[in-house]
Amino acid sequence: MIDNATDRPRSPGDTPAPTASPLLRIQNLTVSYGDAGAALSDVSIDVAEREIVAVLGSNGAGKSTLLRAISGSLALEGGQIESGSVELAGQRITGLGAADVVRRGVVQVPEGRQIFKDLTVEENLRAGGLALSDRSARREGRDRAYELFPRLAERRTQKGGLLSGGEQQMLAIGRALMAKPQVLLLDEPSLGLAPQIVEQIGGIIQEINATGTTVVLVEQNAGMALRVAGRAFVLEVGRVALEGPAAELAASDEVQERYLGVVRDHGAAIEKRVRRPQSTRPAPHELSVENLTVRFGGITALEDVSFRVEPGSTHAIIGPNGAGKSTCINVLTGVYKPTEGRVTYGDDVLTSKRPHQVAKLGISRTFQNIALSPEASVEENLLLGRHRRSKSGFVASALALPGARKERAEQIGIVRDVAERLGLTRLLERPVHELPYGDRKRVELARAAAAAPYVLLLDEPVAGMDHTESARMSELIGDLRDQLGLSIILVEHDMAFVMGLADRVTVLDFGKCIAEGTPEEVQRNPDVLRAYLGVAETTTGDGS
Amino acid sequence: MTQLFELTINGLSLGAIYALIAIGFVLVFKATGIVNFAHGSILLLGAYVAARTQGDLGFWLALGLGAAAAATAAMIMEVLIMRRVRGVEAGVLAIITLGVDVILLTELSRRIGADILATGAPWGSEVVRVGDAAIPEARVAAAVIAVLVIGAFVTAFRKTDWGVAMRAAAADGKTASLMGVRLNRVAMSAWALAGALAALAGVFFVSFPSPGLDNATGLQALAAIPAAVIGGLDSIAGALVGGIIVGLVATYCAGYQDELSFLGRGLGQVAPYAVMFLVLLVRPSGLFGTQAVNRV
Amino acid sequence: MSEYLTDRRRLAMVAIGAVLLALPLVLADFWLQSGLFAMAFAIAAIGLTILVGTTGQLSLGHAFFVAIGAYGYCYLAGGESIPGLKAQSGLQFPPVLALLGAVGLAGLAGALFSPIASRLRGLYLGLVTLGLVFLGQHIMFNAAEITGGFNGRDAQPFSVFGFEFSDGDEETSVLGTVFTGLHKLWYLGLLLLAFSAWTAHNIVRTRPGRALETIRDSELAAATMGVDIRAYKAGAFCVSSMYAGLGGALIALVFGRIVPESFGFVLSVEFLVMVVLGGLGSIRGAIAGAALVSLLPRFLDFYADKLPLVSEPGTGGVGPSQMSRFVYGIAIVLVLVYAPRGLAGIRLRRARRKPTVTPPSVTPSPAP
Repeated sequence: MIDNATDRPRSPGDTPAPTASPLLRIQNLTVSYGDAGAALSDVSIDVAEREIVAVLGSNGAGKSTLLRAISGSLALEGGQIESGSVELAGQRITGLGAADVVRRGVVQVPEGRQIFKDLTVEENLRAGGLALSDRSARREGRDRAYELFPRLAERRTQKGGLLSGGEQQMLAIGRALMAKPQVLLLDEPSLGLAPQIVEQIGGIIQEINATGTTVVLVEQNAGMALRVAGRAFVLEVGRVALEGPAAELAASDEVQERYLGVVRDHGAAIEKRVRRPQSTRPAPHELSVENLTVRFGGITALEDVSFRVEPGSTHAIIGPNGAGKSTCINVLTGVYKPTEGRVTYGDDVLTSKRPHQVAKLGISRTFQNIALSPEASVEENLLLGRHRRSKSGFVASALALPGARKERAEQIGIVRDVAERLGLTRLLERPVHELPYGDRKRVELARAAAAAPYVLLLDEPVAGMDHTESARMSELIGDLRDQLGLSIILVEHDMAFVMGLADRVTVLDFGKCIAEGTPEEVQRNPDVLRAYLGVAETTTGDGS
Repeated sequence: MTQLFELTINGLSLGAIYALIAIGFVLVFKATGIVNFAHGSILLLGAYVAARTQGDLGFWLALGLGAAAAATAAMIMEVLIMRRVRGVEAGVLAIITLGVDVILLTELSRRIGADILATGAPWGSEVVRVGDAAIPEARVAAAVIAVLVIGAFVTAFRKTDWGVAMRAAAADGKTASLMGVRLNRVAMSAWALAGALAALAGVFFVSFPSPGLDNATGLQALAAIPAAVIGGLDSIAGALVGGIIVGLVATYCAGYQDELSFLGRGLGQVAPYAVMFLVLLVRPSGLFGTQAVNRV
Repeated sequence: MSEYLTDRRRLAMVAIGAVLLALPLVLADFWLQSGLFAMAFAIAAIGLTILVGTTGQLSLGHAFFVAIGAYGYCYLAGGESIPGLKAQSGLQFPPVLALLGAVGLAGLAGALFSPIASRLRGLYLGLVTLGLVFLGQHIMFNAAEITGGFNGRDAQPFSVFGFEFSDGDEETSVLGTVFTGLHKLWYLGLLLLAFSAWTAHNIVRTRPGRALETIRDSELAAATMGVDIRAYKAGAFCVSSMYAGLGGALIALVFGRIVPESFGFVLSVEFLVMVVLGGLGSIRGAIAGAALVSLLPRFLDFYADKLPLVSEPGTGGVGPSQMSRFVYGIAIVLVLVYAPRGLAGIRLRRARRKPTVTPPSVTPSPAP
């Protein structure tokens, strides 16, 4: 681990444009989805011909949105460009549909590969070449893809869904190359891939680049991206936070801490929250995950995972995207049935229950992508949290029987109290869809808390938040823990956040548990570093 | 035995017709995510145009014109209406198609009135004898043509650029458009093809032994919906199998009406719906449909 | 419910109520009967808006449940020989009990159907409910013992404690104003409608309604907050069917005679039209939509000779009922396409960015 911090990267704006006329020029781009506030604000990025540019950032920072805005697929996701422009070789491509952008020579490999599972390898490639009308060009493209990825040639008649993750990524890249792109956009190609494969993909990206294709690489795996790329940008909450040569960024403290998982001992940065228990409620039971295996079709999402959550403790589950964290939460809450293994809470077996039965035991959760009723007011949403703690049914409610009226008044009182504790009082009457992202995250937390749970499962509570917001969230969660004596299971990427709250950490990678221990132990574990960085012992000064 | 054989052949033939209708229904659903309740009235439109013009044009030209009319109507519906509401909830889309259905059906039934229109099919009411069994020529012709058309469709779907684009768009529209597939064109071709197939099926549907095209034809053709659902809404193979099942069930129930009289008259018309209930009780996504994984 | 009503709204409701109460004094019988139809349809439409609008479960089978209510009432109350009416099989319940029984039967039918319904997702449900209509009609045609088959059957006139609500000759005089049976039926309809609207409003605005709305917005979120999805979907079906049953019984009373033909696919579509035009999930909207859809053909019929585009039935032009079908068919398309939030605050939920869990697929890619 390096200590000699080199020059801080320049702040946005003072990097001179790399060449006089960049191939891809993104100017002052602002993008929003419906009324959810801006997902990108005033982003400007220039990409020169034959360059590899990496775009880094955590979940929700706007990386995928940026690629969608370039590739013209924003509308398909319900987003729109508010202002700014994207130009390719001096020509505006903003406003073109995705299929037309492909014909201009900009092709995106989507996040999660998204190969067509029921089509054969050959048909997948053929689908990629549909934009070319010239048959011989298509044949050339196909041959080139097979040359680049001999594995695909071997398996050309197999259905895409039967390929391994690495092969699927190769197929996704090969498919995109079929359209002969000038600019190749890659959205998290390392997602869910083993370190050796990630390295291999990195090499392939360089190889593709060497034949004259310009590459924009969006990654969470900063290690690989910074080695491959010449220049890099860091997005944070929809804005360019840092930019500069990849090597410089790789060496900077900030990037190392936030995206490379390197943690230094400067005490103050990872301030451990001091507990101030105030709860008088009965303590939660122990939650025990035993040999959990989950398979979907041929894909193993979790394999033989075990851990225990001591009553009243905070247990974090971390790991790269696609490691199986969300699957784990979905099994815990009864949404997925495990293929093998079980989860117990006290004497109850959670894995044999349906989700609402799990909820009745006092286990609440939040969602990574926020699942609130958008048109209902905050108060109504919070009242749903009280569902299992109240009982008025159809008849009593329909006839407004005195019991139902009384119960409703009580529940409203409780909900207002919860709202006040979480600083939501002034928002109670507002419909949720009008609220900014951070507030909605808090409303979801409040809804889960309103159920007065014993165990709280938080799925990426600070994704897409900036430092201030996530610090505030950490505060709120800590307060809730103290007040309710909760056990908390926390899935998160933000290391500083995890380290500040968690008592124990389980690290998942490819569905397997690769480490478990206190935050300090886990941070020093070489396997963990490897999972986060792509390869062991990487960031040694010169990143490329 | 003879009766069973006759009924089976007739049932398979009717099944092939239902399969043609159901394939179109499934095709539109796969390409655009829309359950098109106006499919029955588009069929009626095609059959109506064919029946009205066959006197002047002759059967085959009229059939072509009917298919073209239905394809055009479906395409207009897609371009003028459904395209504007892409991404809207599926239930709302279905209601919009119901609105279109109301408009089309009202106008067509107004024009048809109390008439029963003949299709002028060249095979009239002749029968083919196979042993003791008498099979209407029209049914044989319908089966043969339906099988040819379905064969051509399946080949195109599997082998051509159009087929690859269609399957890619159906599997994942967003990704397909990132690969350069023009979703609007794919959708338009799916609608047009569905309309043409429906018109073709409609003409056979009202040919001998059925008396001809009348006001109830559109409603009867709705039995293609249970066919599509039985097979699984998003499976072309399912539409084929579902169509055959519905054809057989409807024909058996009508044929053994006397033996099944305790179940009431007109059983053939509703039996497909009963089969649909039974299938969905066991398999909530139909026989070949994509199943859901979570168990909320 | 008072907590949701502003003074202004309450005033408006009192005014509308007063007008509705006074109408029988001025309206001709034709319009009274039309109004009663509108009320019966409105009650049933309230049920459908809870199912489709609040819970997000598309149903094309509403006509089936309405039919159960209508036939249920006739069968439960029938059997007694009435001068001028043909005696038919029945249980000879007092009409009030028969009315309650009809609602109960419809609710039961909804509950029996719900095991199928709650297993199905999205559009499959809508398509299956289509089957309910056809099966229902098959039964109505064939179970002649109970339904009277093709010819239908008569409805026993309503009465409470010997107080007749029939459209017959008997009149009641209050303070010098003469009330015929139809007048009295009007007040009964008004009472039932008000009761239906009130209860539905209470359901939608409180705990069960919130659970149903969350099921519509995200089944996953609802389930993990403790809502038993299957039970609540079944509940929604049951409640919706009960309103349908009440509406159906009132339809039988107003018509005086019911036939299977009336309870087909077309009626189901009309109910959907009512709730969509009025605004999905809105109870007031459902009532307004029902009034529009049921009164429009009657207006056109009544003024057929004065309206330019409408011709008398049977003359080959566009008849009143056809014209009204054109009007609402076009209205549905226009409203849903161009003014999704226009009429009575229709709530159209644009598909959101991403579902909370990569839903149905046999081989989901590992969730990020």
